[in-house]
Parts: sequence; structure tokens; C-alpha cells
Amino acid sequence: MRRTWLRGLLVGAFSVGLMLISGHPSYHAAESQFPNGRLVRMDALPKMDPEICLVPSAVQRAERASAIVAQRQREGLPFGPETTIIAGDPNRRIRDNYPAFAAIAVDPDRNEVTVTDENLFQVLTYDRLENTPAGAEASKPKRVLSGDTTLIEFQSGLYLDPATGDLFAPNNDTVDTLVVFAQGGNGDIAPKRALHTPHGTFGIAVDEKRSEMFLTTQHDSTVVIFRKEADKDEAPLRLLQGDDTGLADPHGIAIDPRDDVFFVANYGSRALRRADQEIRTGVPGSGKGREKPHWPLGREYAVPGSGSHAEPSITIHALSAKGNDKPLGKIQGPKTQLNWPTGIAFDPDRRELFVANDMGPSILVFDANARGDAAPKRVLKGPKTKLANPTSVSLDRKNGELWVTNFGAHSATAYPIAAAGDVAPLRTIRAAPITAPSLMIGNPGALTYDSKRQEILVPN
Amino acid sequence: MFARLANGNAARNGAIEGQRTMLGRTMHGIDYDHLHDEIVVPQQFGQAILVFKGSARGEEPPIRVIQGSKTMITAMDRLAVDPYNDEIYVPEGDRVLVFDRNANGNVAPKRVLGPGPGFTEAGSVAIDHTRNLVVVGASLRKPGDGGAAQLAIFDRTASGSASPKRVISGLKARLMDPGNMRVHPEGGYIFVVQQAGYIGVWSIDDNGEVPPRFTVGGPKGMLKKPRGLDIDPVHSAVIVSDKELNAVLTYEVPQVFRQTSTASGGR
Repeated sequence: MRRTWLRGLLVGAFSVGLMLISGHPSYHAAESQFPNGRLVRMDALPKMDPEICLVPSAVQRAERASAIVAQRQREGLPFGPETTIIAGDPNRRIRDNYPAFAAIAVDPDRNEVTVTDENLFQVLTYDRLENTPAGAEASKPKRVLSGDTTLIEFQSGLYLDPATGDLFAPNNDTVDTLVVFAQGGNGDIAPKRALHTPHGTFGIAVDEKRSEMFLTTQHDSTVVIFRKEADKDEAPLRLLQGDDTGLADPHGIAIDPRDDVFFVANYGSRALRRADQEIRTGVPGSGKGREKPHWPLGREYAVPGSGSHAEPSITIHALSAKGNDKPLGKIQGPKTQLNWPTGIAFDPDRRELFVANDMGPSILVFDANARGDAAPKRVLKGPKTKLANPTSVSLDRKNGELWVTNFGAHSATAYPIAAAGDVAPLRTIRAAPITAPSLMIGNPGALTYDSKRQEILVPN
Repeated sequence: MFARLANGNAARNGAIEGQRTMLGRTMHGIDYDHLHDEIVVPQQFGQAILVFKGSARGEEPPIRVIQGSKTMITAMDRLAVDPYNDEIYVPEGDRVLVFDRNANGNVAPKRVLGPGPGFTEAGSVAIDHTRNLVVVGASLRKPGDGGAAQLAIFDRTASGSASPKRVISGLKARLMDPGNMRVHPEGGYIFVVQQAGYIGVWSIDDNGEVPPRFTVGGPKGMLKKPRGLDIDPVHSAVIVSDKELNAVLTYEVPQVFRQTSTASGGR
């Protein structure tokens, strides 16, 4: 009854002004992010029971939570004789039985290299000098983090704290949690920290000087900045999101500590957001943290029909960037060879940016000062490289090596850091027999059947 | 792309991927138009509907793209093609956008179903071209109510605030957060992904608190987080993708496909 009255009030008094005055932090955060085009009218509310001072989105979430409880009750009901249960095993099951390496971090001080596996939901650590013999089925990792306690699922990014060896791994879907494990962790153990992150988080970089952690989020085209040691439900310190940021389906992120800038690899697709428009109901949002300051505006705030596809890019931003700040520069254009640029890494000594170019398949190396339609200064590409859908790069400056994960080949490969052209890897860590096909079924949310060709089509 | 009979660690037949496709590696929906041999994909980040040739491979660009300010597309994840009536349906929260299948560019939907009394959280849609029906998989929230998952069945051409003809919902229906759906018009069945780990099968004629006629793959089967779904009636198969298993599972269930809901009657 109270909610009924609330809804009437919200409709009658016109909701947007009420939302602003009711203190929804996203609105206030967005206010500072988007200086132009904001709603400016603010009407005072009549005195009311504080309990009803809910914004519509909060009402929606409360009702949604209630619906989930109701659905769980439904789930528990036994089926009666009206239902024929066919619960046996499938006739066929297409599944890659081997790890699919996604993100990588090399630890030269401890002589280890760690990778995330988005297929079997693991984080695996190998000896840095491991080199799978040609006839061997696979290399055995030194340690494996895996299991329900770890909260590991689609860990798309990986950062290794050079001082402590701690591993930071953001989750791209389902769990919306960045997990941090102490160096040496093994088995089904709880992370030392588990930070709730926006939905669709992909890449991670850490500004060690300021102890800040930068995360890209694909779905809402943002970079969110947390304290490096952030935990649980802590809010971000800053948010970069808006029309002018140049962010568009961002993936990898890397920091240049000398020039105080960070680089972001963008696939190019995005839709705009507005905090001052009617919230779209019943659509997926940016995760469970929407009450927090500096939380991304999710798809409920999307501007209808504002979507666009641009060429892929590397955008360069000040470390202090926030709100709707423009990038300092952009690498974009046909000479760049960018094609689904995914993971990136920066070498502050060589002043070079390394890009795992998924569809190259190649590693592109740009000068730190490259801008516009710049050609890479080096390209690692060709059949000898064994690159296959490279999704992440990590630099071992101590030993002068470049590490790459090959999502399409169950492998991680190491090269001289200055390698160019069609160069064979120095070493290869394989997680599957060399002949095992890589299925690349990752997070299959949909499928369709092509009856003409008798094929199953699975987007990822 | 995998062969119908692929099993285990089977190699892919091919893929559509790369920058020129306008796809990303985070696509949430897909439908195949068997009459026109086209693949239709919602690109949720760019608010676009991409249409590819059925034979497309590699970095082949879409042949049509619906995108722009007139489209009203906001936050789609899934879609469904009706090749018989040349329409594409996009469920989006409190409405379903319906586009001309041949539309290209910045084109407005030809009609919009909702907002109305039938649903508030449409997440999936399926078409029965023989009965001229559209099924909206959704939740309906009412003031003071926690909301309920439901299958709302409308006239195919319904628009605006039209009321559904029938609604399958309620405790006994055991319907939970309906995911991807398909209709088998010949059999008169609606196949619905159930997050609890199975595919629920209802009759298109069902109404009210009706339990599924069949469940496939569970409960308590191999499925963990089923998401994608299609049917292959020729081979009596239900094909499911599971995002926890990172797998595609095929269930051959002739007992489902040899029955018709018309024969058994609606409930």
C-alpha cells in the first residue's frame, strides 16, 4: 500500500526532480561528470515518512530481490505427474576440456608466470622457465587456484603486485567481484580480498605511486578507479564515463608512471548515458553498486538509439582523469592495424606500448608518444610466432621478455622483448596436447541452429 | 560454428569475428533465419542489430545494420526473427520493439508492444507464426508485489498497451526468470531456458498456473547455468549452451517432438 502511494506520488510529482532531491548518489556523481545538459530543476518535497523516500530504481531493486526469493520458493516445488522430466545426460556435449588462457602476469623476482583460465575457471602459476616439450600433453602448473571458495570464474584481467607477489584478478561477468590472492596461494582458498565491482569489468592496472587501482568496464564504457587495497563494498574513488571520454567497449589498460597517463584499448562500440533522463525499467544495469558514488551509469540510463561503432582505438588519459574528461590523445586508424585490441602493457624504460591484437593475430608495439593513425613501430606476427587470438601481454623487463596468452591455442608464449616479425617463441607453456582444437566457447549466453548447414552457432 | 553432430573437444567449423563484423566478444543473443539464410545478432554495446549472410565467415561485415536515433533501441540483449512475417523482435524491459526484417540503417520500429499491463521486464521473445502469437518471457511487477516470472502470450501484431491473451505464471507454473525461448509451431510448444538448470516446455495453449509439460536436461541434471537455446525439430533435438560449463549440450527428445499440444489440449 505504501509503495502504491509512493508510485502515485512519483508519477504525480514528476519523478526526476524527486530523484535528484532524494539524494541518489549516482545522480550527484553524474552531475559532476556531465557538466552539460543536466536537469537543473529541483522541487522541494513535502514532508513524508522517510521510509518512502525511495527512488524508482531502489523500488525496483527491492521488488526484484523479493521476486528472487519468490522464485527460489517456486524452484523448490516438486513436479507433479503433469510434467514429464527428462533429466538424463545429453546425447552430445561440445566442450573444451583444457584451460583457455586469458590474462597473464609474469613475476621475474619469483621466476613465475601466472595465467587466468576462462574455460575451467582457474588461475594457474607456472615456473617462468617452463617450456612444454613437443611430445608432452601439457605442462603441469606449480599452483592452481580453483573452486567455489576462490570466486574465480571469468577472470579477464590480472595484475601482479611486484612487491608482494599478490594477484589481483577482476571478473568479467557473473560474479562481479575482483579477487586478490596472497602470493603462493593454492587450491580452493578464499581470496584475501574480494571487491565488488561494476558489471562487465575487464582490464586492470595499478598506479603504485598513488596506490590506486584502475579497472575498465566494457558494458558501460568506463574506467573506475578504486583504492588499491579496496575491499568488499567499497566505492570507487573516481569514475571516467561520458560522451567525450573516447571509451568504447574498453578492454586492456596500462599505466605510464613517468608521464602520469594511462592507455585503454577500445573495440569501438558504445552507447551514451544520461543521468537526467527517465530510468528505463526492467533492463540490466551496471551491477549491484548503483547506490555508491562514482558507480557507472548502467544501461537503464542509456540514451535510446545513441549507439555507434567506431574504429578500434587506444585512448590516452591523464591518471587524474574523471567525469567526462577528454582523452589526451588517441591511436586510431587503418595504419595502426588494431583489430579487437585486448590486453595491453607498457614498458616505461623502452617507452613502448604493447598490444595483444586478438584478430591480428599479432602483438603491436607503439611508441609511447604515438598518436592518430600511427603505424606500430614493431609487429610480432606470423606462423612461427604461434600467436592465436592473443588476449593479454605481460612484460618481464628484468629478463627482457614479452609474455603472451593465446586464447585460441591453450598456450602462453615468451619472446624477446624487442622481437619483431615472424619470430618463434623462446618458450611455450601449453595446457593441452598440441593437436587439441581450441573451441573458444567462453561464456556462451546464446546459440542458434543453422538448419541449412546443420551447424550450431554460439556467440561468446 | 560447430557441426550438428560435434561432440567433445570438437574443432570449430568456422567463426564470424573481427572488427569489420561490428561484433565483439561479448554478444548475448543470436537467431538464424532459415527462410532467408541469414544470421541476426544484437550488438548490445552499440545498440545495433547486425544481419549477416548465413554463409558469412571470418571478418565478413554484416549485410544490414539497424542502428541510430530512430530505432529506440536502448538496452537489448536478445532478439527473435519471424522470417514468415519479415519481422525482428527486440525485447527490452517494459517494451518489445518490432522491426521490419529488411530494415537497414536508422529505422524506427514498425510497432512497439508495451509499456502495458502484460509485462515489465521482458528479457526474451519467441514467435509462433502459425497461430500468429508472440510469447514474451518476462517478469511482471505490480505495486506491493515482489513480481513474478511469466510467459505473456499476445497476438503477434499487438502493440502499445495491449493485454496478453494468456499468461503462464504463478507458483505452480514453477517458472523462474525465463531466459532464451523458442516456439515449435508444429508441436505447439514453448521451450524456455530455466535458470534452475533445465529447459521447461509449455504448451502454447497453456494459461495460468500450469506446470511445464516437460523438462529437458534437469532439474538435477548436467546443466548448471543454461543460457542459449534452440531446437532442431528435424532431429528432435533441444540444443542448449551453458555458461558455467562453457559447453553446448544437445538433447534428443523425440518424446517431446512427437506430441502436439493441440492434441493434448490447453490447460
